[in-house]
Amino acid sequence: MEILEYARPRNMDEAFRLIRERRGTAIGGAAWLRTNTKIMTLGVDLAGLGLEYIREAGGCIEIGAMTTYRELETSPLLKSRFGSLFDATVSHVVGIQLRNIITVGGTVAGRYGFSDLNTTLCALGAKVVFYPGQTLALADFIEKGAGGPFLLEKILLPASMKAAYQQMRISENDFPIINTTSAWTGSGWRIAVGSRPAATRLCRRAMAFLGDEPRPSDEKIASASQIAADELQFGSDIRASAEYRREILPALVRRALVEVRG
Amino acid sequence: MTIRLNVNGKQNTIDCQAGEMLTEVLRRAGYLEVKKGCDTGNCGACTVLVDGKPVLSCSYLAARAEGREITTIQGLAEEARAFARFLTAEGADQCGFCAPGFALTVLSMKKELHNPDEAEIRHYLAGNLCRCSGYEGQIRAIKKYLEAEHA
Repeated sequence: MEILEYARPRNMDEAFRLIRERRGTAIGGAAWLRTNTKIMTLGVDLAGLGLEYIREAGGCIEIGAMTTYRELETSPLLKSRFGSLFDATVSHVVGIQLRNIITVGGTVAGRYGFSDLNTTLCALGAKVVFYPGQTLALADFIEKGAGGPFLLEKILLPASMKAAYQQMRISENDFPIINTTSAWTGSGWRIAVGSRPAATRLCRRAMAFLGDEPRPSDEKIASASQIAADELQFGSDIRASAEYRREILPALVRRALVEVRG
Repeated sequence: MTIRLNVNGKQNTIDCQAGEMLTEVLRRAGYLEVKKGCDTGNCGACTVLVDGKPVLSCSYLAARAEGREITTIQGLAEEARAFARFLTAEGADQCGFCAPGFALTVLSMKKELHNPDEAEIRHYLAGNLCRCSGYEGQIRAIKKYLEAEHA
């Protein structure tokens, strides 16, 4: 990607003005700029704005937009609240050197189809906070976008949740063929599927089918897993056909649900 | 645009384009030990440390590196030489192209992980590809290097 002008704002107000009034584009990790052929008129670098944090506040976990994958992977707070979920979700992404660059905000803002992280965040019921204060459910943002220029500030997660991530790749470090995360919220199930290869979607019919039963039977889990595959649309690309993805998905959903149920 | 980069403790004033990545800028400034491999964020040959953390310089915006401490393999030459002796002894260094990035990642791992097992070593080094060695010699070298360092 070619960047015609580069700006490093000193605070969030300045960054927001550059994005809204001068049609600037926020730069997160910038790891994919290399392989993008577009021209960015004004790149607004979000580094140095204090958006690198994982903390507990107001009964939620807040993750700043410039937090890296490596920070997610090694966070003691996330490990204490979600077990090995974040490690399992992001540790397949190339190598540590790239995970020290890629940011949560860049991944979420890009709504990338191949994302591992967006799948897990959707299953956890994450919310996206845009500066100066608008909040959207991540699943809605991924489906519909923000409806105009935006500055992503942070992600909100519930304080803790039991969830499990499953994926299939042709080889380690490649993009996933398909991925899924299941979570028990305490009052219901959430199932998200990504890399279809289109962006992450919730499996609402499968979630409704499981209802509020915290320990569904193996048979019920198997049925829910098939419903998930039946309710989603899949596409074909260089990694797999739509049919293959549809065949594989139920096994992954079942494994994730069983892992959470115990 | 003009940026000031602190590389191995030395200040450099360098002209660069707004969207240029760090590999190109460092090599143009004479830091040819930063290897240009796949140039797509996959192979690890271009690894440098930014504020002590290993990053792929081919995927790191040069302008963002201003004000940060950049370390190439030359900046850790003494430690790298100590590790290289183990690589050589295990026959794990062939064409050598991946070695600067590989050694920087190993030195970073040594600081970050305490006494890593083989699975942890392989996981930490998953982003450093070597087309020659098959990795077995490198793993042996790393284990022996870490044992010697902890002795």
